[in-house]
Amino acid sequence: MRKPKSKPSSSVPIRGSLFLFALLAPIAGALPVNDKKAPESLGDIKAIQDALLAAIPKAQTATVCIDLGDGSGSGVIVSEDGLVMTAAHVSTGVGKDVTVIMADGTKLKAETRGLDSETDAALIQITEKLPDGKPYPFLEINKADDTKLGDWVFSLGHSGGFDKDRGAVSRIGRLVRVANTTLQTDGALIGGDSGGPLFDMEGRLIGIHSRVGAVVGVNMHVPVKVFKDNWERMLKSEFIGEGPFVDKPEKGKGFLGIATKPAEGGIEVTKVGKKSPAEEAGIKEGDLLRTLNGEKLDSREKLQSILAELAEGDKLAFEITRDGKDETVNLKLGKR
Amino acid sequence: MALALPASAQQRLETNFRTTGAAVTAVFEPQREVIQKSSAVIYDGNKEIAYGTVISADGCILTKASEVEGVGKIDVRVDKESYRDAKVVMTDPRWDVALLKIEAADLTPVVFAPDSKLPRGTWVVVNGVTSRTNRRVLAGIISADAREIPPEGGAVLGVTLKETKKGLAVEEVSKDSGAEKAGMKKGDILTTIAGKPFKEIAALGKLLSEMKSGTDVKVTLLREGKKTELDVKLSARGDLFREASRNDEMSGDFSNRRSGFPRVIQHDVLGASHSMGGPVLDLEGRAVGMNIARANRAETYAIPAEELRELAEGMAKQVAATATQ
Repeated sequence: MRKPKSKPSSSVPIRGSLFLFALLAPIAGALPVNDKKAPESLGDIKAIQDALLAAIPKAQTATVCIDLGDGSGSGVIVSEDGLVMTAAHVSTGVGKDVTVIMADGTKLKAETRGLDSETDAALIQITEKLPDGKPYPFLEINKADDTKLGDWVFSLGHSGGFDKDRGAVSRIGRLVRVANTTLQTDGALIGGDSGGPLFDMEGRLIGIHSRVGAVVGVNMHVPVKVFKDNWERMLKSEFIGEGPFVDKPEKGKGFLGIATKPAEGGIEVTKVGKKSPAEEAGIKEGDLLRTLNGEKLDSREKLQSILAELAEGDKLAFEITRDGKDETVNLKLGKR
Repeated sequence: MALALPASAQQRLETNFRTTGAAVTAVFEPQREVIQKSSAVIYDGNKEIAYGTVISADGCILTKASEVEGVGKIDVRVDKESYRDAKVVMTDPRWDVALLKIEAADLTPVVFAPDSKLPRGTWVVVNGVTSRTNRRVLAGIISADAREIPPEGGAVLGVTLKETKKGLAVEEVSKDSGAEKAGMKKGDILTTIAGKPFKEIAALGKLLSEMKSGTDVKVTLLREGKKTELDVKLSARGDLFREASRNDEMSGDFSNRRSGFPRVIQHDVLGASHSMGGPVLDLEGRAVGMNIARANRAETYAIPAEELRELAEGMAKQVAATATQ
C-alpha cells in the first residue's frame, strides 16, 4: 500500500489448472450466462461457479505480490520469460528495483520497465530465475478484447500485502461501466490489490486493478487495450505521459550524493552522503572517478553537465580507481 | 428490437443488475427462504446490531459476542416474529460467539454442511439487508484458503501503568477495554494476574505474553488499601489500540473484533459490520459457516461448519446440564 497521493478524482489508488478433455468438444469462448441480464436458474449460477473453479487455480499461480519496501501492490505474469503487468502507481518509475513474490512465497528480483502515467499501466520484468529453473507461470491476455458491459468477472490480488496462508484473495463481480481507459466492476478491492489482475470467466486477463471509490461497489481497472496500445513503448522502458498516477522524473533532479574536488586523471570523492545512492553502491571517500557512462570526467563541471541530462532512476556506470586498483561501480540516480 | 439509448446509458449497468442488485439476488430465492427462517436479526432498541444463527427449535441462537456485549436489553427477530429480552446464556471468547436464548418453540434450525472444504470460487449466500418481515440475501464467493487469524499484537488488559513506591499503579483505563468493563480504576495497585504475582511492568508483560486475548483472567489489586479481585477479559492489542490504517479508512466499516480466531473461511460478500453472526449458506442451503468478522471492505471471515457444529453442540450440552441441575 502506497502513501496516499492527491488524485484527480475522488477515487484513491490501491496498493497490499486448466482441464482439457480431449474427447469433449471445446467450450466455445464466452459463458452463455453472460448473454443474460441476470442469472435465471440454479444452472446459470452453477455455470458461473464451474467457470470460476476451473479458472482460479491457474490464475492464482500467475498472480504476484510486488514488494516495494515501503508498501506492496500486485501484478500478473503474462509471458513465460517473466513479464509482469501492473499499475503505474505500483511501479512508480522506470528502471526501479523491486521484489516479486510468487504465490508460494518465492522472492524474485525484478526491474520496472515502462509505464503510462496517464492511464496507470506499467510493465515489470522479473530478472531472476525460479529456483527450479522452470519457466514462469503466466496467463493469457484476452486479445480479442470482446468483454462487454454486464459480463461476470473475477479479481485476484494480494489485499493488504502478501499472506502465504491466505493466498491471493479472489472476488466476483460484474462489469458495471466500460469507458476507453477504465473498466469499473462491483467486486470490492482494497489496498495491496493495485496492479492485480481482473479476469473474464475463461480466466483470460482483461484488466489491471487501479483505484477504488469511496463506495464499496466502485472499483476501477485499466483495460488490457491500454496496455496493448502502449506495449512497445513500455517494453522500451519509456515513461509515457505527464501523470497523474506517477510524477515524471525531471532531468537534473536526480540524486547521487557525493562531493568532489579536481584531481589528477579525474575527480576525487571528498564526501559521501549517508544513505545516498552513492553510499549504497559502495562509493567511498578518496575514490578517483575517471569516467561516467563512457565519458571522461576531466572536471567537476563535466560531472554536473552529465547529471543535468539525467533523471531519477537513470543508470550510472563509473570507472574508478581505489587504492591503485581500477573498478567499475554501477548505480541508479535516486530522488532528491 | 434496437433501442436508441444514449451511449453513456449503454455503458453503465443498472443497479438492479449488479452483483448486489435485486435482479441478480432473485436467483438465490431457495437460499433466501432458509435465511428467512434461520437467520435471526438482533436489535438494541430499534438498532440492528448483528445477525444470528438459529441452532435449535426451542430458541438457541448463536451470534457475535462482541456485538451484543454490554447491550442492556436484546431483542430478536426470527422470520416475521419478534422476541423480547433475549438472554445471553454463555459466551465463547475464543470464537467471539455468544449463545442467546429466546422463548420460542417452533424455530427452524440451520442444517450444517458436512464440512467447509469449499474451493475458491464456490458461491456462498448470507443475510444482506433486512426489513421487519423480510430478509434479503447477498451472494459472493469463497475467496481464500481456510486458516487461523492470530490475535493482532498479543493480549493486553487495557490500562497504562506506572511503577510507584506502593506498587504498579493504574494511570489510565482504556475505553472499551476488558479492564474498563471489569471496573478497574485509576489508582488501583495491581498485584497478581491468574494467581501469579508481579512488581514491574516488564514482569506483567511477560505473564501476559503467555496468555490469549479473549480469555478471562483473575486480577488482584489493592484499592484504597483493600484487596479486590476482578475478572478481566483480555483484549488483543491491535483491536484495542488501533491506528486506523489507510485500508481501514477505505473500508469504512469493519468489526471491532476481527482477529484472534482459531480458523476461518473467507468470502467476499459485501456487508456492514453489524451483519455478522448470521449463517453462511452453500447453494444447497446448508450452513457452511457463520459470519464472525468483517475484516475490511474486501474480506469477511466466517467460523467453518465443523467448528461451528462442535461449538453449537458443546454449548447446547452445557445449557442442558445447567438446566437439569
